[in-house]
Amino acid sequence: MAQYSTTLDGVFQAVSDPTRRAVLGRLGAGPASIGELAAPFDMALPSFMKHIGYLEKTGLIRTRKTGRVRICTLERGSFDLIEGWLRDQRTIWAGRTDRLEQFVTATPDRHRDKETPA
Amino acid sequence: MTASVHPELDLTVSRIIRAPRATVWNAWADPASFERWWVPAPTVCRVREMDLRAGGSFRTEISEDGLAFGPHITGCFLAVDELERIVFTDALVAGWRPAEASFVTAVITVRDHPDGTEYTATAMHRNVADRDQHEELGFHDGWATVIRQLAELVE
Repeated sequence: MAQYSTTLDGVFQAVSDPTRRAVLGRLGAGPASIGELAAPFDMALPSFMKHIGYLEKTGLIRTRKTGRVRICTLERGSFDLIEGWLRDQRTIWAGRTDRLEQFVTATPDRHRDKETPA
Repeated sequence: MTASVHPELDLTVSRIIRAPRATVWNAWADPASFERWWVPAPTVCRVREMDLRAGGSFRTEISEDGLAFGPHITGCFLAVDELERIVFTDALVAGWRPAEASFVTAVITVRDHPDGTEYTATAMHRNVADRDQHEELGFHDGWATVIRQLAELVE
């Protein structure tokens, strides 16, 4: 849990803003230049670049410069991180249920409480 | 009881176990039995307190080597319906006193089933984004909504 928290907090902060969510949504369709991404927004470029910077810093997107154009790409690993956290919890509970099942089906009821753990 | 479901924060594990309901219940309610299956070997679980009533303490410890134990669950039971349901959380400790930190509320139910017992564990997790800067960021939608939206966006 702890190892996920810091990264997850950053991810959640990054996606808490409508502009950043819109950028992520656009990038879901494929890489795009800063110019393309900024076009729908009535926003000064430096302000827009702060949003891009935030998304890059939290690892949700990558940017690379090709010539005079900076191209942004969605970094899907960050989304896997969010899913991975719940998947880990599910694995823990499924494992518990496996062991409970094993315990109650493999151990005769009348002896169970008196057995010494191996 | 009605409860909101947050697919991104909640999980449910359900299983038909080929054993009588009382046997499954006892595996949970008897500390010596509980210690045998709650954590995967070689990790060892020790039940320090299992006061099976509303507000009763639920405290377990775990150890990697069987010698040095550290805290695992420190919480309390919210509801205990004999042979039916156990609800616990780590948001509160014994006597419903608020805990320092919280992570989960779990609902365990056992029901008769033609093949034995239907065992269901539901774990509801804290919204890990719902912390200090929640209001400041205008993050009113909550984690679940945002993640659902994101999943739709990026797929």
